[in-house]
Amino acid sequence: MNTFRTMSAVIVAVLLAIGCGSGKPQDASATDTHGQPEQPTRLAEMPANASSTATAGRASIHGTVHFTGTAPTPEKVKMDADPICQQQHATPVYMEDAVVSNSMLKNVFVYVKDGAKGPFPSPTTPVVLAQAGCWYNPHIFGIQVDQPLEIVNNDATLHNINAKPTINQPFNVAQPVKGMKMTKKFAKPEIMVKFKCNVHPWMNAYVGVVDNPFFSVSGADGSFTITGLPAGTYTLEAWHEKYGTQTQTVTVADGETKTVDLTFTAK
Amino acid sequence: MIPPSQHRRTVIIGFCSRAVCLTLWGVSLPLAWAEPPASDVSAGKAAYTQQCSRCHGDHGRGDGVDAKRFYPRPRDLTLGVYKFRSTASGTPPTDEDLFRTITNGLPGTNMPDWKHLDEATRWQLVYYLKNLSPVFQQTKPEPIAVASDPGLAHADLKKGRQLYEQLGCAACHGPQGRANGTSAGGLVDDWGKPIRPANLTKGWSYRGGSNAHAVMLRMLAGIDGAGMPSYAGALSAADAWPLAYYVTLLQEPAHWNLIAHATRVSGTLPMTLDDPRWDAAEQTDVRVRNVVDTEGEWVHPPTVSSVAFRVLVNNQAIAFRFTWDDPTHDHESSPDRFALLLRPPRGQGDVVTLQAWPSLGAPPLDLCTWSADSGKAFETVATDYERVEHPVMSARQLTTTTADYQDGRWQLMMQRPLRPTSPADAAALSPDVFNPIAIAVWDGGNPTARAVSTWVEIVLRPAFKAGAPATERR
Repeated sequence: MNTFRTMSAVIVAVLLAIGCGSGKPQDASATDTHGQPEQPTRLAEMPANASSTATAGRASIHGTVHFTGTAPTPEKVKMDADPICQQQHATPVYMEDAVVSNSMLKNVFVYVKDGAKGPFPSPTTPVVLAQAGCWYNPHIFGIQVDQPLEIVNNDATLHNINAKPTINQPFNVAQPVKGMKMTKKFAKPEIMVKFKCNVHPWMNAYVGVVDNPFFSVSGADGSFTITGLPAGTYTLEAWHEKYGTQTQTVTVADGETKTVDLTFTAK
Repeated sequence: MIPPSQHRRTVIIGFCSRAVCLTLWGVSLPLAWAEPPASDVSAGKAAYTQQCSRCHGDHGRGDGVDAKRFYPRPRDLTLGVYKFRSTASGTPPTDEDLFRTITNGLPGTNMPDWKHLDEATRWQLVYYLKNLSPVFQQTKPEPIAVASDPGLAHADLKKGRQLYEQLGCAACHGPQGRANGTSAGGLVDDWGKPIRPANLTKGWSYRGGSNAHAVMLRMLAGIDGAGMPSYAGALSAADAWPLAYYVTLLQEPAHWNLIAHATRVSGTLPMTLDDPRWDAAEQTDVRVRNVVDTEGEWVHPPTVSSVAFRVLVNNQAIAFRFTWDDPTHDHESSPDRFALLLRPPRGQGDVVTLQAWPSLGAPPLDLCTWSADSGKAFETVATDYERVEHPVMSARQLTTTTADYQDGRWQLMMQRPLRPTSPADAAALSPDVFNPIAIAVWDGGNPTARAVSTWVEIVLRPAFKAGAPATERR
């Protein structure tokens, strides 16, 4: 009788799991979108790094990330393990862990670490991480806490998305079919969360999960822009996957545009 | 004292039709157990300290005194990352998942089963584990949706095969499941350490169990911490069953005999690997385990885990056909190698533990060593595994040797006289006694030490008809 009662409880649990599917609790870890309440529509049109009307500002920071020293030789990627990957690249592909051109450093994630007065509502517009040509695009990017991240497979080959956060909940999900999509959210700020593919070990990406909308990634010319800041004093942190982090304090007046220069040095 | 939520569940069950309940009974977990007891912290801690801390460490960090010598390493329980669950990837296991792992152990690893502990103690260990990591408070386990088991007879195996191809399983597990997929060599686990995909032909090595139900759960839940992702978004609960049954049919049964019988043949011994007389010989499988390096740490996981062999004998000579899975065909600078070890007559009484051989003062062994670069085999009596590059005075070439590598699998045939006249002190094999043999194997593509077996006794049947039926072996 005891066994039957326990087995019945198990059966009901399975029934509930099959039937309800999406009754996931609000908890402090990465969850799927199903079952989340809709945000007010006025935020849906805003791009990822715009501030809400509640704390909108008019100041901005324009910055340049310089690189001094000898840039390392870019590492060529061998994709012969998977012909579907290889076929998509007519020219050689190089790792993006240190992209330097004209002494400017690309792919530096810059965000406001201190000084932003929240709380900031999470946008509902998803940030898209695409797997195309057996490569993550973008390689470095930012997202707000609880903002949806849509991960899509554009290749006709198996990819798995193996996310290894240390503060948020890790996950490892397969996308064997072209066109497959999944949506994840990160509930806590974390700098940075690494993504990798086990099937194609050269693939990796990093996302900065920030509790405010003030972040940017430096382009090939080293430039980045953070807009919508209210007047105040902020601590900016710049993160690079190979050259570490640095901080700088910036004070902006209402509507001011401040220029910031950062320099990373070769190891 | 029945908690109110469970009382409510019992009432709900009363409304279920018998048919529904019986259908879902097929879904039920293979273990039936009594009501879990209430938590007793001191009992859990005492049981953990006595049974578990030796490997898992005093604080559960996977740093016990034995930990460094094991591959795979004992789990760091403080991280809350568990491989064998019935829950979605990224969520913790259920209490039943933990109870099952403790009860059944993990085959193919050093985690034994704990069936000799009573159920109450095992439940106390489950509660103790949950307190080792904050993940259990922060995240609820999300059991995955499972469908009812169609049974092997009704499983659509053709669909299973199609799914195996469509879902990209071969990328890591290989086309025939021999862990030789194109991506198999580059996998790393969550701690950045190299890890190998499962060899699906070796059901005995499936950590979470080799039946279709266990395989089905692994595919839907993924194996967190390792490289195996969750296919829950790509594979429906119903389709998981035909694929799971297909995978179980990739398994090849293993025969762990410690006494192996050489089948007698009249006339000459086979010269080829596919001679039909091999089929009449009994198959024996032996585990091979890597010799741990001097630091005691695992840097590269083993790639060869077992060797199968068959033995045929006539009045003059003995022939062995060895079969083993090796993910890479290495036949150039760092070639695959194999050694058959025998006991020279003078040292017969010595105890030789191959995990510790060679060592200072260890007795010599008779080695028949084959190398994939030359394709040749030489027999020597030596105190060390020597790479016999050229025939030396003390080495005799084994003239009838042939090998073949196909899709992640080596087959090697070696023939040797029962009583060779050279090298001096070569092992003599006799029908009246147990003849011990052992195996050492090197995967050239895996820069670790060799993998060695234990000693297995070969019995040469007295002369009667070749291909005698199995009943005569009793």
